[in-house]
Amino acid sequence: MPYVLRRLGFYLLAAWASLTLNFVIPRLAPGDPASAMFARFEGRVAPEAMDALRAAFGFTNAPVHVQYFTYLRHLLAGDLGISYAYYPSRVSEVIGTGLVWTVGLAGCAVIFSFALGSFLGVLAAWNRGGWLDSAVAPALAFLGAFPYFWLAMLALYLFGFGLGWFPLRHAYSHDMEPALSFAFAADVARHAVLPAASIVVATLGGWMLSMRNTMVATLGTDTLRLAHAKGLPSRQVMLRYAARNALLPNVTGFGMALGFVLSGSLLTEIVFSYPGTGYLLILAVRNQDYPLMQGLFLVITLAVLAANFAVDLLCLWLDPRTRAHA
Amino acid sequence: MRRVLWLLPLLVLACNSEPRPRAPGVLFASVELRSAWVRNFNPLFTGANARWPTRAGIYECLEVYTPSTGQWNPWLATAHAWSDDRKTLRFTLREGVQWSDGRPFTADDVAYTFQLMKKHAALDAGGVWRFLSDVSAEGPQTVAFHFSHVYIPGFSELAHQPLVPRHIWEHVEDPVTFTNPDPVATGPFTEVRVFRNQVYELGRNPHYWQPGRPAVDALRFLAFPTNDQANLALVEGEVDWAGNFVPAVDRTFVSKDPQHHGKWFPLFGSTVFLYPNTTRPPLDDVRVRKALSMAIDRERLVDIAMYGYTRPADSTALNDSYTAWRDPEAASGTWVHHDEATANALLDAAGLTKGPDGVRRKADGTPLELEIEVVGGWSDWVRAGQVVARDLRKLGVQAHLKTYEFGAWYERLQKGEFQLSISWSLDGPTPYIFYKWLLSPRTVRPVGEVSAANWHRFGDAEADTLLSAFETETSPEKQRELMAAVQRRFSETAPAIPLFPNPSWGESNSRRFTGWPSASRPYARLSPHAEPDSLLVLTSLAPREN
Repeated sequence: MPYVLRRLGFYLLAAWASLTLNFVIPRLAPGDPASAMFARFEGRVAPEAMDALRAAFGFTNAPVHVQYFTYLRHLLAGDLGISYAYYPSRVSEVIGTGLVWTVGLAGCAVIFSFALGSFLGVLAAWNRGGWLDSAVAPALAFLGAFPYFWLAMLALYLFGFGLGWFPLRHAYSHDMEPALSFAFAADVARHAVLPAASIVVATLGGWMLSMRNTMVATLGTDTLRLAHAKGLPSRQVMLRYAARNALLPNVTGFGMALGFVLSGSLLTEIVFSYPGTGYLLILAVRNQDYPLMQGLFLVITLAVLAANFAVDLLCLWLDPRTRAHA
Repeated sequence: MRRVLWLLPLLVLACNSEPRPRAPGVLFASVELRSAWVRNFNPLFTGANARWPTRAGIYECLEVYTPSTGQWNPWLATAHAWSDDRKTLRFTLREGVQWSDGRPFTADDVAYTFQLMKKHAALDAGGVWRFLSDVSAEGPQTVAFHFSHVYIPGFSELAHQPLVPRHIWEHVEDPVTFTNPDPVATGPFTEVRVFRNQVYELGRNPHYWQPGRPAVDALRFLAFPTNDQANLALVEGEVDWAGNFVPAVDRTFVSKDPQHHGKWFPLFGSTVFLYPNTTRPPLDDVRVRKALSMAIDRERLVDIAMYGYTRPADSTALNDSYTAWRDPEAASGTWVHHDEATANALLDAAGLTKGPDGVRRKADGTPLELEIEVVGGWSDWVRAGQVVARDLRKLGVQAHLKTYEFGAWYERLQKGEFQLSISWSLDGPTPYIFYKWLLSPRTVRPVGEVSAANWHRFGDAEADTLLSAFETETSPEKQRELMAAVQRRFSETAPAIPLFPNPSWGESNSRRFTGWPSASRPYARLSPHAEPDSLLVLTSLAPREN
């Protein structure tokens, strides 16, 4: 238990540090948001209005430490502020429009890729030199070398534009009413196939190779030799002894991958016009929309930390040694 | 082993992507580039990211100016008149206009809208309360604007102000942060039928004042995050109306269905300038500015940077919406024509002599180095900058192109901390705003202080006298004379180097709807970005009968 508490304390400290960076970094950037917003009108608004715009966005010349404590206080109250780029919508509302789609698409893709890749890695190591090991693994590693937005564009062009099998954009058909129905779910799934597949194909190889390599090492240990010698059924040896031990590095990697889901699928989302948070992030940066940027970074940061904490707990369960040291 | 492999999930999904039949009368438009829609229909605060067509189809204004005809069209007002001392402007409102909830539209609503702008300075984007002293309703159909001083160009700001109903907005706590999710307005499309993150749909106003209009049943907007996605939908015939930049539009779009696919790119956009910082020698020397201008091969520039969609700027720098204002004498200036010999001679005369190494040097012997600043990623301007830099190097000027991230570029531009920078210009129904921010000393701020325009920091007293006279002049002939004199002043002083006027992008698909504006039927601009022209377009379109 103290181990868990210590980890929790560490994560709280990390959260505070990232929140502070989150406050500082946007303010180091040149330019100011009212000007950026004003620039978007390219001369269609009288220049005299700029001071009024600044006032409306609540730009204060308060000392930085006052701004900082206001920021922390608002955060603790769950108030992310008002977005500049989507003024006067609340940041939480803006992020809400995209978060569920990003989490759904990239989250499912990463979990699926991790599970399938690790499983394939186990099989490849178990049947060393088999076709899975000698043909599929290198092929997947090759695909993994491509950036996944590039695979996304290729998939969009081939299966969407060329063959017309899948829709070209969006998370569901625009004439479809979102509802808890089979028809809607099928529509969402159909729209998710290409973007999800591009993420899965690009990341599968990594999971498979790292799983395979650790598994090969584990298979050579005395424990496994003993298990074989005892005459345990081979499936039990493969899964409960070898795979469980070999899974540790992959689980750690999984925690990090989950965290980066939110920002990492940005380009895939743009290729497929998927209504996620990726485009919001670009827009926020382009418009110097500090509140939206901070809101998104906050969500991403907390997701990374939460995922890593969950992984810590998982490791605790998978690996008895961590418990012993605690 | 085999058995396990069979468990590999196979994605067997119905793969028919046949387009569903579209509801008749529903027009698909692509105006804003967004990954997801946020519900906001606030017409008053320009800083708000209100959904199109909040200011061009939901809310309306008193009169509508369209540069394609050079006309003011009566809209919610049927007439206007200046008082004899030109300090009061009265509009006569149209009778029988109702808000979309059935309540009558009156002069009180107009006065209330302007009072709101007085109370909340952030709503006053046009800065009308700089020249107004009061707005009052004189009976239900007459509204009077009282001016604090004579300022004729203020007319366009007043006539174009979107008007809101008093009986709704007086209950709004803060009109600046109000997202107005269910607009009550006088425009042709006021009913929000569908609003989801990927799509929204606006239905007809049941009480619209033009009988039988709009003939279009609804407007539907799909979220496209990038130009590529929007253009793909346009080419595929999924979108009926768009205002996108389309590369090689004739080949990629028009030729796909020449009978129905239309494009109209009139040169009504703001003029793109190469701004010299006139506080920095030698750019304070008009000979140097003219020499740099003459070094540029604008024909090649518009070909390379703009796909030939525009023409080189003339020496008035005016775009085509000001054609009626253009003074032939001012337009005949040769300093915007490619002429390397004269450019070299001008630089020699300015004391920037070329050494044996082919590099021009200032009087103190340092080489003449100029940096051209553009926004990285704005590919048309980056290409323009490359052409300009190459042309300047031919004169022996060490010109370099430097790209900045938008925020950094704009800050340097506004503070006057640059040598040469490519940027836009300001526009209005008359060239008054355009020249005021190019020439008037009243718009010059010191270097280091943020300025929303006149980044080149140039003021000419003579031009300012003419512009001030223009502010109080009502006679069209006299206005034209004054503006012609301003243009000649511009051409003489060359405060900034005009490159080309921007096209206003507009594409239409007449397969399902007819009545689009075009070069042969220019009743309004086709570009949906051209507010409030869209009011004319939206009320003229009709579903194709078949």
